[in-house]
Amino acid sequence: MSSRENTRSALARLGFSDLAALPGRLALLGDIWEPRFEGFLPEFALAADPDQAFQALSDLARADPGALERVIRTEASRAVAIRLLGLSTGFVDFFGRYPDLLAEVCELPLVYPSADALYQGMREAVDGLAGDEAIVALRVRYRTYLAAIAAVDLSSDTPIQSQQFASRCLADLAGATLDASLTIARADLAVSSQFRATLAQLDATSLAIIGMGKTGARELNYVSDVDVIFVAESADPDVVATDQAIAIATRLASMTMRNIDGIAIEPPLWEVDANLRPEGRKGALVRTLASHVAYYERWAKGWEFQALLKARAIAGDRQLGASYIRAIEPFVWSAAAGQDFVASVRKMRERVTDRIPSDDADSHVKLGAGGIRDVEFTVQLLQLVHGQHDDRIHQASTLDAIRALADFGYVGRADAAEFSECYQILRVIEHRVQLRHLRRTHLIPADPDERRIVARATRLGTSSEDLDDLWTSTRARVRKLHERIFYRPLLDAVARLPRDGIVLSTEQAAARLSAIGFRNPSGALDHIAALTSGVSRKAEIQRLLMPVMLQWFAAGTDPDYGLLAFRRISENLGDTHWFLRTLRDASGAAERLTKVLSSSRFVGDLLDRNPESTAWFGDDAELAPRPEAELTAETLAIVHRHGGSPREAAKRVLAVRRRETLRLAIATILGLLDDAALGLGLAAVSTAVLRAMVVLISPEERFGIEFGVIAMGRYGGEELGFSSDIDVIYVFRPLAGTDPEAGQRGARAVSTELTELTSDFQLPFDIDLGLRPEGKNGAPVRTIDAYAAYYQRWSAIWEAQALLRAKPVAGSAALLSDFVALIDSVRYPSSLDEQSTREIRRIKARVESERLPRGADRRRHLKLGLGSLSDVEWLVQLRQLQHASETPTLQTTSTLGALDALVQNGLMPTESAETLRAAWRMSSRIRSASTLYRGSSVDELPTDFRTLEGIARLLGYPPGNAVSFENDYLRVTRRARVVFEREFYGQ
Amino acid sequence: MDKQQDFVLRTIEERGVKFVRLWFTDVLGSLKSVAVSPAEVEGAFSEGIGFDGSTIEGFTRSYESDMLAVPDPTTFQLLPWRGDVDPTARMFCDIAMPDGEPAASDPRYVLKRTLAMAADSGFSFYTHPEIEFYLLKSSKFGSEGPQPVDSAGYFDNVPGGTANDFRRRSVTMLEQLGISTEFSHHEVGPGQNEIDLRYADALSTADNIMTFRTVVKEVAIEQGVYATFMPKPFTQYPGSGMHTHMSLFEGESNAFFDPAEPYQLSKTARHFVAGLLRHAPEITAVTNQFVNSYKRLWGGDEAPSFVCWGHNNRSALVRVPLYKPDKGQSARIEYRAIDSAANPYLAYSLLLAAGLKGIQEEYALPPEAENNVWDLSYAERRALGYDPLPSSLDQALSLLEKSELVAETLGERVFNYVLANKRQEWHDYRSRVTDFELERYLESL
Repeated sequence: MSSRENTRSALARLGFSDLAALPGRLALLGDIWEPRFEGFLPEFALAADPDQAFQALSDLARADPGALERVIRTEASRAVAIRLLGLSTGFVDFFGRYPDLLAEVCELPLVYPSADALYQGMREAVDGLAGDEAIVALRVRYRTYLAAIAAVDLSSDTPIQSQQFASRCLADLAGATLDASLTIARADLAVSSQFRATLAQLDATSLAIIGMGKTGARELNYVSDVDVIFVAESADPDVVATDQAIAIATRLASMTMRNIDGIAIEPPLWEVDANLRPEGRKGALVRTLASHVAYYERWAKGWEFQALLKARAIAGDRQLGASYIRAIEPFVWSAAAGQDFVASVRKMRERVTDRIPSDDADSHVKLGAGGIRDVEFTVQLLQLVHGQHDDRIHQASTLDAIRALADFGYVGRADAAEFSECYQILRVIEHRVQLRHLRRTHLIPADPDERRIVARATRLGTSSEDLDDLWTSTRARVRKLHERIFYRPLLDAVARLPRDGIVLSTEQAAARLSAIGFRNPSGALDHIAALTSGVSRKAEIQRLLMPVMLQWFAAGTDPDYGLLAFRRISENLGDTHWFLRTLRDASGAAERLTKVLSSSRFVGDLLDRNPESTAWFGDDAELAPRPEAELTAETLAIVHRHGGSPREAAKRVLAVRRRETLRLAIATILGLLDDAALGLGLAAVSTAVLRAMVVLISPEERFGIEFGVIAMGRYGGEELGFSSDIDVIYVFRPLAGTDPEAGQRGARAVSTELTELTSDFQLPFDIDLGLRPEGKNGAPVRTIDAYAAYYQRWSAIWEAQALLRAKPVAGSAALLSDFVALIDSVRYPSSLDEQSTREIRRIKARVESERLPRGADRRRHLKLGLGSLSDVEWLVQLRQLQHASETPTLQTTSTLGALDALVQNGLMPTESAETLRAAWRMSSRIRSASTLYRGSSVDELPTDFRTLEGIARLLGYPPGNAVSFENDYLRVTRRARVVFEREFYGQ
Repeated sequence: MDKQQDFVLRTIEERGVKFVRLWFTDVLGSLKSVAVSPAEVEGAFSEGIGFDGSTIEGFTRSYESDMLAVPDPTTFQLLPWRGDVDPTARMFCDIAMPDGEPAASDPRYVLKRTLAMAADSGFSFYTHPEIEFYLLKSSKFGSEGPQPVDSAGYFDNVPGGTANDFRRRSVTMLEQLGISTEFSHHEVGPGQNEIDLRYADALSTADNIMTFRTVVKEVAIEQGVYATFMPKPFTQYPGSGMHTHMSLFEGESNAFFDPAEPYQLSKTARHFVAGLLRHAPEITAVTNQFVNSYKRLWGGDEAPSFVCWGHNNRSALVRVPLYKPDKGQSARIEYRAIDSAANPYLAYSLLLAAGLKGIQEEYALPPEAENNVWDLSYAERRALGYDPLPSSLDQALSLLEKSELVAETLGERVFNYVLANKRQEWHDYRSRVTDFELERYLESL
């Protein structure tokens, strides 16, 4: 019993996991094998998955004892078998089919085969064979070599260093395989019944295969597509004309591809991808050298030249291949720069961020944040920025490029070494994950058992936790290194302080800044210098943060403005304690601050005056809109404290408004507020201001009147945006004993004082009385009796319409409630007769033609245009007038709320309502976003290109989408207009 | 790219080019040209040539007032009709925004975008137009109406006639400009000519049509006559159409070909035709964009006025031509409504979009029309489901305005412009008292 116990923990130490079953499985081996297996049982510790290795060798004992005998002959051969079978189910299957080959692989010396050996070996494997037999031989030999390479790689005590040699060897093996495959194709074509040319012509057809991508750069994975280009010539035009040679070569090329990726008894190897050829999928598969050159001269795009950087002749006619490489050399890099420079950087960055299903984001070795693609991005970005003027950094492979960037002073030595190491660790993980099932995958497995196996295979850890740590820490290092390598040298450049052995010139630093979107790099360098020089604590923190902040600024619409605004705030706040804390705050406050500053002048300017608000960025709770009651309490308290000095009190109330508007603006840009919450928030701020101001003016004490403020329009609907006017009407009622004349004068005085006290040049508070009865010709204030008389006698239907959004907000509660009772009968009439309906339609039609300012574009006008705000509002209001009296849910001041109610009550089809809602929201959001972006509002969709882009970005469009944003607006409103015409005019 | 620009700059030097014309097309399909001196070409390549878009039809009113014409060096050609005295060259341009984003109102971009959409489904689009036009003695005309240069009919060989010289000269010039023509013969009307451009991808074809119109006009002037692409210059003679053969390719193979199906017309082709038929009425305001276009569409003869398809039926809107059965690559269908004055970029975009929609939604193809549709009665046609195409620009616009397909394909900017501009044209036309009215009413009423 006790020996059994010992055995089990010993087994666990070796890495077995199915401990209980193992003794039984040993016994099953029978008398001959059991003792021998028991003898080398400890060696199974070499396997990533000892159970699997044990099972595979046991199976072999039954299936092919002779082969097993060879495999286990020496400790060295056993080690190879245990490592291979103990990691890769793919190899278990393969060697299950070909046990003898396992023995052969186990007997090979543990060194990477040379390119020559691979080419020769592959050729020998298919020598004299044809057809399916040749294809099977090709694939079997390929997999044998693959196992041999994996054996060396898995046995290495320094897997990180070993990785690049394995990758090179794999690329050579791919080339050798294509080469042998072409040999088969030539032999097969010669005897093909469909072959119409002569053998001499076939022989005189030269075909070279050029490796591209990772194959070309000799940094291939275990399982990957292989990118190629085919080039052909007639070796002797007297024997075969060029066009005929191309026809023959095209047959050869497709046969070569099929031999590798077509269906046969032995499964396909990998996909041969020829889509990087001129004209891509649509282009001819094979071209002459001259035709390639002509294409690159005339048609090629920038990225194609970048792809050519990795081209390498790998198979077929070596002389022709070499001429190809010589011929394309002048093109490489020539066009990588030029006018599209910033755009190509942007595209490159999009390729990086255009990642993967988010479920996989954290386990994707290649595309996840901090993964292989991020390393490649940093390297290629530096090559693109500095390679224009420096040929010495045009390396094809990532590791060579890092080395060159360090050699020529673009990256510090230590950074480069660390970057290389991270890259290699990631590649080792990728390689092991692929070897596990010989599948083209880049995902770290979710199953902890599988992760443990991968960890053991890397030899950089032994448990799934080890792998998690390795992956997490490497990713973190990669992301840090990107900042340190690309941005940090910018600071050192302005300080002229070499760090890690390098210092960039001003031109080089400027080139980096313009590459990421700064329009005025020298100005930016000045700001950076100002922010990071000196010995203060703040300068120190900003030095630490600046690299990553630059990256964030660059992501905004206007990086130059963002950096300037930040500098102003930073200088305003000096060494304030909490400012420094906010910057260092781990919750991302600094990132938010940069994002907001580089996309909004409105916020930038307000923050400049209220720099202490910078503190909010670290705390979502601070950015939540404050409820109306709380705001009113605050403004009333101010009035209470400073009532003796109305100007002073008003100033403080307006400061509250600016502060709260700023809060809402920041929250909106950060996506913490939707439009509904924003509308409510802004209305609450306005209401708090008006209530305080009315109390401050004290109409009852000073003028003997009750006074009330009624919100109208978007304010009444609590759907305000940053560009909205404050639409209101005023009502008053003389207290008993007040002379009516004096009351009237008093009410006018209140109105005037309200306008004066709320005037704020920093953030205008535009009180608009235009919706009062009789509009601009009407009296600015009326008594409630005058309103009653007016509505009874004169009221036109459109005034009832305006009242639909009337909401009492400030002043005497009794008066306001009487007023609401008065207008309810007007705005919710028990029925709407045909004549009134027609009248509303007529007025709307007239408004459409008259109100639009001269020269305005009907399709682009956000308020009065086709399918924009007023169309939606008029339609909704018409339906309210028709149905609100019998449908209480329609008695709402909110446009969107009324739309919901219309759908719920079956008064409008859902689809129509959705179309209208989309148009109304988009128009509203554009108006708000424009104010945020440039600090002033617009009535028309801007025509200035940069403004469009800035607004689009605030609405969540990716960069470079101004045209499609415009198109979306026009589409949404066109559709809304169709609904409007149908529902409103009844067409 | 640099190489090609170098080639252009070198050629300008070597050939002593005096002017370079930068060509692009406005929304209505007129060729626009900005002439620059050789010294400005280098700058044009790197930064584009700024111009005021508000002077160009359809580019107005927006940020496009600041637009860039970026010449495409691969389209560089010496203009043969300028001779050696003041050698002049041309390049087509893409229209770009100040930051390089393509301009929404550039018709060439509209077509590129639609082609990209087709490419997403794995298709490339090839077209082959047969362009008809009239040769007149002069652009001036008296009470007799315009005067054709001769009175020849279909396939007549006129010895020593102007038309022969004219054709020889045009074909030579087109070849010099790198445009191959396929076949040319005299059409039915006196003075009427047809020149077919060879099969090419739709973008090249559209560029070629623009070049072609210019060449034909230039040659005509050179020979003391006048060429017009007006859809219907004569009441009594047939109009000038631009029947267009179309096919889709999937990689190397013709997606319209299937040897197992009737007429070897693949499922894809049948859906494509069904798409053309269903959307034909709403795209007509673009394929036939002038008031005058409807005089051709409803002028009888072989004009395709009814929405139907047929195999070799010359009265059908869509014709499936005969081709040699073993030549699967040449499988194609022919759309016959489009006229010679269409904007080829926009018209081809819409034809492609309509066909693709048919493929995506798997529209069913209605039965084939076997008789001459013109010989049927109104009731018969209705019974057979052959709807008429719009009978006027006004009607065509009403259909266009409701079309989601057209708005999506042209983009909202171009869509709005076409609508506004064409409405204005209809308005101007309607307010005009015509000869017809004077002749018929003045004395009798």
